[in-house]
Amino acid sequence: MDKHAFNEHHVLHELKHFLPSQTPLKDFIHHNSLHAFQEMPFYEAIFKARKIFGIHVTFSMNDYRKLYEIGRIRLEIIDQVLQKRKGNDEPATWREKMLQKSYISTRLPRIGRLRANWKHLFHIDLDNAVQPLFFRILCSYLDQGVAIQHFPFENDGLLSAVRQLEQSSFTSFFKHASTRKLLFDTSNCTIPKLLERIVGKEAYFEQYLFDQQFTHRGWSGIVSAIEDNPSSILYAKKVNFADAIILELLLEIDALDSLLGKAWQPLCQKLNEPPLDLFADEPLSEQEEVLSLWQDAFEWSYYDEVLAGVRQLNANKAAVAEATETIQQRFHAIFCIDEREDSIRRHTEEVAPDCETFGCPGFFGVEFFFQPENGKFYEKLCPVVVTPKYLVKEYNVKGHRHHEVLYSKYSHSFLIGFFVSLGLGLWAAFKLFLALFRPKMSPAISDAFAYMHIDGELQIENKSPDDIENGLQIGFTVEEMATRVENLLRSIGMVSRFTPIVYVVAHGSSSANNPHHGAHDCGACSGRPGATNARVFAFMANHPKVRAILAQKGLVIPDSTQFVGAMHDTAADMMGYYDEKILTADNQQRHRENKELFERALDLNAKERSRRFASINTNADLRTIREAIRKRSVSFFEPRPELGHGTNALCFVGNRNLTKGLFLDRRAFMNSYDYRTDPTGAILLNVMKPLPPVCGGINLEYYFSRVDNYKMGAGTKLPHNVMGLIGVANSSDGDLRPGLPLQMIEVHDPVRLLIIVEHYPEIVLKAVQTLPDLYQWFTHGWVHLAAINPDTNQCYYFEDGQFREYVPLKGDIETAKNVHQIIDKSKEMPTNYIVHATEENIPVHILDK
Amino acid sequence: MIYSYLSYFVIVPFIGLLISLFPSNEQEKLLYRIVVATLVAHIVGALAFTLLWISNGMPVLTEKALDLYNSSSESNIFLDFYFDRMTVVYGMISSAITYMVARFSRYYMHREKGYKRFFNNLLAFYLGINCIIFAGNFETMFIGWEIIGVSSFFLIAFYRDRYLPVKNALKVFSIYRLADVFFLLGIWIAHHLFEKSITFAELQDIAWQNYPIIQQHSHLFALLPYFFLVVAAIKSAQLPFSSWLPRAMEGPTTSSAIFYGSLSVHIGVFLLIRTYPLWQNNTVFCIVLIGLGLLTTLVAGSIARVQSTVKTQIGYASIAQIGLMFIEVGLGLHTLALLHFAGNAFLRTYQLLVSPSVLGYLIHDQFFNFIPPQHPNEKTWWGRLNLSFYTLGIKEWNLDRLLYNFLWQPPKLIGLLFRYINSRIVAIVFILFYVFGFYTSYHHELVPDSWAHLLPEVFALVGVLVALKAFTERNSATIALLMIVINQLFTALSISYNEQFEFHEILLYLSGIVLSGIVAWACIQRLRREGEPTDLNDFQGHSYERPRLTMAFMLAALGLSGFPITPTFVGEDLLLGHIHENQIPLTALTAISLILVGLASMRMYARLFLGPHIKGYHEVAFRSS
Repeated sequence: MDKHAFNEHHVLHELKHFLPSQTPLKDFIHHNSLHAFQEMPFYEAIFKARKIFGIHVTFSMNDYRKLYEIGRIRLEIIDQVLQKRKGNDEPATWREKMLQKSYISTRLPRIGRLRANWKHLFHIDLDNAVQPLFFRILCSYLDQGVAIQHFPFENDGLLSAVRQLEQSSFTSFFKHASTRKLLFDTSNCTIPKLLERIVGKEAYFEQYLFDQQFTHRGWSGIVSAIEDNPSSILYAKKVNFADAIILELLLEIDALDSLLGKAWQPLCQKLNEPPLDLFADEPLSEQEEVLSLWQDAFEWSYYDEVLAGVRQLNANKAAVAEATETIQQRFHAIFCIDEREDSIRRHTEEVAPDCETFGCPGFFGVEFFFQPENGKFYEKLCPVVVTPKYLVKEYNVKGHRHHEVLYSKYSHSFLIGFFVSLGLGLWAAFKLFLALFRPKMSPAISDAFAYMHIDGELQIENKSPDDIENGLQIGFTVEEMATRVENLLRSIGMVSRFTPIVYVVAHGSSSANNPHHGAHDCGACSGRPGATNARVFAFMANHPKVRAILAQKGLVIPDSTQFVGAMHDTAADMMGYYDEKILTADNQQRHRENKELFERALDLNAKERSRRFASINTNADLRTIREAIRKRSVSFFEPRPELGHGTNALCFVGNRNLTKGLFLDRRAFMNSYDYRTDPTGAILLNVMKPLPPVCGGINLEYYFSRVDNYKMGAGTKLPHNVMGLIGVANSSDGDLRPGLPLQMIEVHDPVRLLIIVEHYPEIVLKAVQTLPDLYQWFTHGWVHLAAINPDTNQCYYFEDGQFREYVPLKGDIETAKNVHQIIDKSKEMPTNYIVHATEENIPVHILDK
Repeated sequence: MIYSYLSYFVIVPFIGLLISLFPSNEQEKLLYRIVVATLVAHIVGALAFTLLWISNGMPVLTEKALDLYNSSSESNIFLDFYFDRMTVVYGMISSAITYMVARFSRYYMHREKGYKRFFNNLLAFYLGINCIIFAGNFETMFIGWEIIGVSSFFLIAFYRDRYLPVKNALKVFSIYRLADVFFLLGIWIAHHLFEKSITFAELQDIAWQNYPIIQQHSHLFALLPYFFLVVAAIKSAQLPFSSWLPRAMEGPTTSSAIFYGSLSVHIGVFLLIRTYPLWQNNTVFCIVLIGLGLLTTLVAGSIARVQSTVKTQIGYASIAQIGLMFIEVGLGLHTLALLHFAGNAFLRTYQLLVSPSVLGYLIHDQFFNFIPPQHPNEKTWWGRLNLSFYTLGIKEWNLDRLLYNFLWQPPKLIGLLFRYINSRIVAIVFILFYVFGFYTSYHHELVPDSWAHLLPEVFALVGVLVALKAFTERNSATIALLMIVINQLFTALSISYNEQFEFHEILLYLSGIVLSGIVAWACIQRLRREGEPTDLNDFQGHSYERPRLTMAFMLAALGLSGFPITPTFVGEDLLLGHIHENQIPLTALTAISLILVGLASMRMYARLFLGPHIKGYHEVAFRSS
């Protein structure tokens, strides 16, 4: 096949592969921002992406050197990294290169070079002439309900809608009748034919399309993402990526007719240089090599400390662990693995030393679609890769949703607007005044607890196999429930010693004025509050028939044990409990006491979080801090209701004892897993499977949004404008901004995720090798993997397809009496420049009681 | 008597602004406290003052505050303050909104690189708006007008390291500049008609309608309000200027709320009510005013209907309401207009401030109440008309293109004609020509009379051409700067040729220019010395590495464009005073010069110091973002 022949299908497929895949903002699913490069080893991949798109994929050389100067990167680690990677190649000279040599870095990205010729050769600014109208049409077409008058004829795709509109309207989007004619000329209105006119030579078509689509990667990305995932918008529209390209090409022809007169030559007519291979492989340059060494040193300066902490903590712990396992415990609580729950678990254990906490992905192994009462749609409540077959419906809800009259879009029409501004203007002033001085919950604020009514009921158990709605079975059968309960309990190692009450604590996040609120909710529930899952799981585990089946399988849950669903609001630091009325009288009493304990833990959690918030004095009394934290979550003027997954870096898979007593500053995902119940590693595989895509996805999105917040992130939130309820852009004419906003990533140290498994290295290796997709995450270094041998407490690091022992360099880990002692001496960043920001992150401590 | 303390309301924000320049960007608490102290001092003073004023029966107050220029002749320029019912309404509302926005921004702006810049500009805005609200004459109001225009520019370009904010800031600035010049021309006509700088207090007493000079120039008098109408229409984004407003929403949401949702856009209504005595008996004007308001309401309303982004929707909705206010003012319903202003200002401020939450709220609402919209009827004539309006609305009725094609395309094209002219030769010719002009202006006998009366226009025309060159210069900032200065020299020459006037008036005019020119030149030299590119072909973004130099150059650019920080500002006014009311070509040329020079200065500033930084060693935004 001719290398330069244009294959439309292939090129479109490639384009879609490289475009951002973030779906509309109503749900926020974290994913690797450079997912298109994931087939390659990490450093090769990111530097290739840099060459193509001109993005920053690491810090600059200067930043690393400054991080070294302040001690954040340790010299011994630099030496260790050099020893490992450049062992035979004079580490000393490489060290010199890292610390001294100056590099110049002003390379043009490959993308955009062809279309730059419009400016160089023709002296026109084609993008300025096309993009504002093009974005407007796209945004109006995709609009979910901002505009009063919606885009007509949306059933058959964008191009068809534009055609019908042009046919019926007396006015036109196009300036020239000839372009309008071309629109209706279906045989010539195809991508190759239009490119023929604009570009001229077929050899350049692919490069031109890449250049064009990546001048507005946000809009192209959303079109492509909705095409692939039509259910990501509620107001269904037919969306077709090719349509958008054709419309843009037509608008370009229209603009060229105006800018250059009717008789313009195609772009490549006189071009001599051959088309550029955007994806050509190029070996790493020395500069890139040095940057990758720095990044390794940056990461290992932290990992080393963590592994040293684990080693020191567990050196003489075995005896203690044995002891705790024999005493009768007050309650168990299962939390989400989310790293934000690290601190609430720690504080709960502190106020209730006789409790045990567990961690698992926050959908608690129950996957289903949820339909709130009166809801017209279903919402998926499980990891994004799973497609559930079940539907859980809500009914008997008391109370109804309130409205905010000032949010009505009809206040924007001039007639109603007249009466609203005259009649409700002062009301708006009053509302604003209240919002500033007495912030409180309102229908306009995303309230995690409003997601599912606390007093509503759920249809969880399937009544009959024929009970099917839109292809989904309503509820689970008893067998299906038993399987799910068993799987979860076995995976976290909760197979005996059941306490009277087991809390199943989901999490969600309330925030005001925050289009990215979905990014703060539970990632394992497709970016939604997980309360429903907690409730559903508790119902299943309490079901007598389920317990009977479990007992047959050797998993005996005593009758006295009851499961209670709950949810932790990670922004407001509040906890709500579901179906409390089912508790027995004894358990009611226990529950009342436990609630007190949780409240105290929440107080302490609020205090720990408050150290990063400028609006709160950490030394104030607990009640004041707690109230201030709650207020942040309902304050319209607070762009940081919480800090999301910022600083995430680790993922532990093991018993709580592995990390209990270690102060990790809310940086670790924690999945409970008991190696003793799984000698073959069969369960381990299921535990490990979701971790790289979910936790690794979160971690890598934060990584790239942090190292290049301008291009890979969404930039600062403050100028954001909500576009068609699907995304945000900076202004009226701007491109959509996928990625995370500055306010979410400024505390983040961009290190890759290190997964630390408590098991024998050979078992871990066998487990991860089972699935090639899973294994690739580790072999290509997008996620790091370590194992702790439970018998010897030795640490192993996965590298080049095998585990090798790693001996931490860091000697003594700092100890502290309690968390407050650590917080009191913590620093506050003066600016969000990485060298300042990283100072706010506290090193690993051991809590010495 | 307390009444002579009206200037307090301008001095307080001014002092606050000066103090707020001192802390560093990291001293957020201190900065916020300065702002709040300023606002509270102002608001408490205003409340006390108003109570006293009410207890005294609400008299109209006036105070002549400061002579800016006082010469023997008619050209007397002074600051003057005024206090009446409308001052109270506008003053209270603008203080309340500014206070709430400042409070909102306290944590909202936390850790922004421009935290300090934001609050500096907020105080500058507050100074400007109080200058307008308390203004007792056109000159004072004009100062406020300029301050608001410039703080607007800085807040639109708040994210100065991105392309779109800077581009849009320049766009808005150029439209504002047009308004400024119309304002100046209005002042100029008023000067000629009243033979002095008339105060609003004097305007109220309509005995002046019988002045012989006004009787004599009844046409000019009838024309005068149209100048202020253009000014008001631009500032309030009425037709055909509406399209700048949605594009101005580039800064932080809070600044968009105070400027484009509420206070700044409503100031056109204020100007119209203030100038009411000038046109209350002018039926034609009233009809034009009402017609403009009506047309704007309909067109902006139809655009608002189809906006699919929240902020632009609010922007166009606000424009439509202001159109209604224009109608109300035209009908003489001033109280209604004031109420309407108050309601709309609060409503849109609120809606803009909470605009990010619309996503969550509406999605949630849709989840429970979604009904697929009806298909439009494309068969009937009415249905087709409706679809036509839809298309027009999406295209914003071509308003943006219209403005570009009619206002900015022509000077660009003309300026580009000079692209290939060797600047050195041109400079020499100009200098020779200038020396000739300068010499003969003191030795009129050397030039035949038939030439002499043409020469002012010729010099002014040369000035315009030079300004065009400055406006379109791509290669060298130094040349652009040189052209700007030469333009000002020619403008001064042409006026001094026109009418003999005091040498020190020219000196006053040129002193600011020369000083600013030298500062700007030094800045450019510094860049060059350090090996930085100084061409104007694209944005250079030097502010990333050189914030202080940026500040210096910014002040110089403001000076060059006649912003009230140098004596040039007063000189400009004086200069115009020496053009006779019947010299329309000379007036037009001088006005065009003033517009172009302002644009060229800010463009030069923007190209050199703003926009994405050309050095790629750190993160730089995509152009389209």
